[in-house]
Amino acid sequence: MSLLVHDQPGVMQRVMGVFTRKKVNVETIVVGKCERLGMARVILTVLDDRQAWGILEHVKRLESVAEADLLDPRRTQAYLAVENGAGPAFHRGSLEELQGKVKALPQEARYILTISAL
Amino acid sequence: MRGARAVVEVLREENVEVLFGHPGGAVLPLYDEIGSSGIRHILVRHEQCAAHMADGYARVKKRPGVAIATSGPGATNLVTGVATAYMDSSPVVALTGQVSTAVMGNDAFQEIDAFGIMMPCTKHNWRIMKAEEIPGVLREAFRVSMAGRYGPVHVDLPVDCQNAEVPEEAFRVIAGNGKPPRRDLSRLLDAVKVLEAAEEPVILVGGGARWAMAGREILRLAEVLQAPVVTTLMGKGSVPEDHPLVLGPVGMHGKMVATYVLNNCDAILVLGSRFSDRSTGKWSEFGKERQPRIVHVDIDASELNKNIPNVVGLVADVGTAVNALLGGFEGRARRGRKVWMEKVRLLKQECSCEYNYTADPRIKPQRIVWELNRWLPDDTIVTTEVGRNQMWAEHFLEVRGQRMFLTSGGLGTMGFGFPAALGAKVAAPDRPVVDVAGDGSLQMTLQEMATAVEENIPISVVVMNDRSLGMVEQWQRMFYGERYCAVGLGGVPDFVKIAEAYRWDAVRVERDSEMPEAFRAIARADHPYLIDVTIDPREDMLPIMPPGKTAKDIILGPRCIWKGGKSIAGHVAAGA
Repeated sequence: MSLLVHDQPGVMQRVMGVFTRKKVNVETIVVGKCERLGMARVILTVLDDRQAWGILEHVKRLESVAEADLLDPRRTQAYLAVENGAGPAFHRGSLEELQGKVKALPQEARYILTISAL
Repeated sequence: MRGARAVVEVLREENVEVLFGHPGGAVLPLYDEIGSSGIRHILVRHEQCAAHMADGYARVKKRPGVAIATSGPGATNLVTGVATAYMDSSPVVALTGQVSTAVMGNDAFQEIDAFGIMMPCTKHNWRIMKAEEIPGVLREAFRVSMAGRYGPVHVDLPVDCQNAEVPEEAFRVIAGNGKPPRRDLSRLLDAVKVLEAAEEPVILVGGGARWAMAGREILRLAEVLQAPVVTTLMGKGSVPEDHPLVLGPVGMHGKMVATYVLNNCDAILVLGSRFSDRSTGKWSEFGKERQPRIVHVDIDASELNKNIPNVVGLVADVGTAVNALLGGFEGRARRGRKVWMEKVRLLKQECSCEYNYTADPRIKPQRIVWELNRWLPDDTIVTTEVGRNQMWAEHFLEVRGQRMFLTSGGLGTMGFGFPAALGAKVAAPDRPVVDVAGDGSLQMTLQEMATAVEENIPISVVVMNDRSLGMVEQWQRMFYGERYCAVGLGGVPDFVKIAEAYRWDAVRVERDSEMPEAFRAIARADHPYLIDVTIDPREDMLPIMPPGKTAKDIILGPRCIWKGGKSIAGHVAAGA
């Protein structure tokens, strides 16, 4: 999920408050300044598609959220770092591809999946 | 210009006539300016009531009420009132003082993170960090509270910002860089088709209709559609209840006929309601049998598909949407729906009982509402507390003519009705205002009796006194095997004596025959007036849809004449 928010104090508390109250788990959070002055881009990963759709309108409703949308996993670039016992391995590609890789990982593997949307 | 002066300037600019508040260390600079501003200030005895009064004021005036409290305990006391306004989408602007920015975050005296606390129960809130932000933020606060779905907003004002100088340029900021309200009527044609195809349509009206003041349009649409109108607790009063198509409230303690048609129809048009569990019963069971098609109109897009899925959604305020639907039906062949109308008429008859029960030996609460219906003028504003008093008022009170019905539907705040009545009376000094109270709820905000006298706000309070927390007692009786715990109030205080101590007029009523005289005085009361009615504590609020159950599990009252719709012949034939 990609959000364009007003870069004000407390904005992350506000956004994450919605997720807490609606009982939706967020896997990763990436936040940073973006091309528009006074705004910030927030990228959140929610694994369950149905939950992501369900919460989208509730996030959009916040005054500090200017835009909110679900990213298309086929067209979004992502990075994946995997620690699988044999030293770290890095991958890049579309989010869809990398999500497939994550699913194929064994249980004990540790990984970081980030999305390039900032 | 000082920051505090800038606050007052913006309040003037927004045509604020009255402030409800309680001073304290962190808002002293602001009060220094309010004193000479010419804006009326009503001193409350507890900050919670400042928010409730601002809320009551807003519900009557349909524009923001302003509540002021100091930092720390002032702000935390305000929270209940602000949360009540949030759940009922009422525009309240809450201003709190805050410790100086120099010591903020260091646990200074009377410091609390009011900004963080208010965040989940306001539409939006701001923490001022520099005095020059004041004009822009305050204007934006007023705009946000009324933009789209109404709601409370909060501004945290550190005491040093109130004292610091605001440059003239700061006033040149124009509010409105926020989000424009969304509107989406793209599925209008779908909505028209769904409603047109229906054999047995029903209109469910929620609180959104009251804020939009769209009662007349809704009745017109009901006549075009030949559909009965049922209301939620918050929607009560948005359509005059003496109209033949209006069947009254649905839900946990609604009228049987209203709940019956809502659960036995093939299409529902929902106007400004969130499908609260108190209206529908268990969500997963709602509409399972007849599978009605649902057209959901709400100003807030996040309400669509939230509680009840698979709806045809229109995002707009109720007035706009209803007018659009009326436009959509114009020029199309009207369907008669005579059979449905006849069925609705008969069902309504089956549910219209006489509830002027005589005392045996104590007054029945239903009789109180019956007498109120008789004696209250048609422009009365009725507020309720929360509990059985609220439900008796919801079920039996006839909101006709210009009458208004204010209640805490979403949060269910005991103690809301009394301060809200005070706020309503301030907003509409020419109309009689009555709070239908219970002895438990009233004691939560009783101290405002002083405010009523001192500020000369002549409201009336009718206490349904059963000497217990009646609703809880009833639940313990019905659902917890009569194991009573913490419900008896011991018959204290003596409300008449308390009222007299606050220099109110007060009477006690213990017999049916004493009610007319006592209630007639409400219309002409020019001084705060309390009527303490001793009621039969064993009289339960029935019918009840047990919590978490469905309309099929409704428990009827002993005198209920409802036959479950069985006296009316089968379903409407297709094409009739």
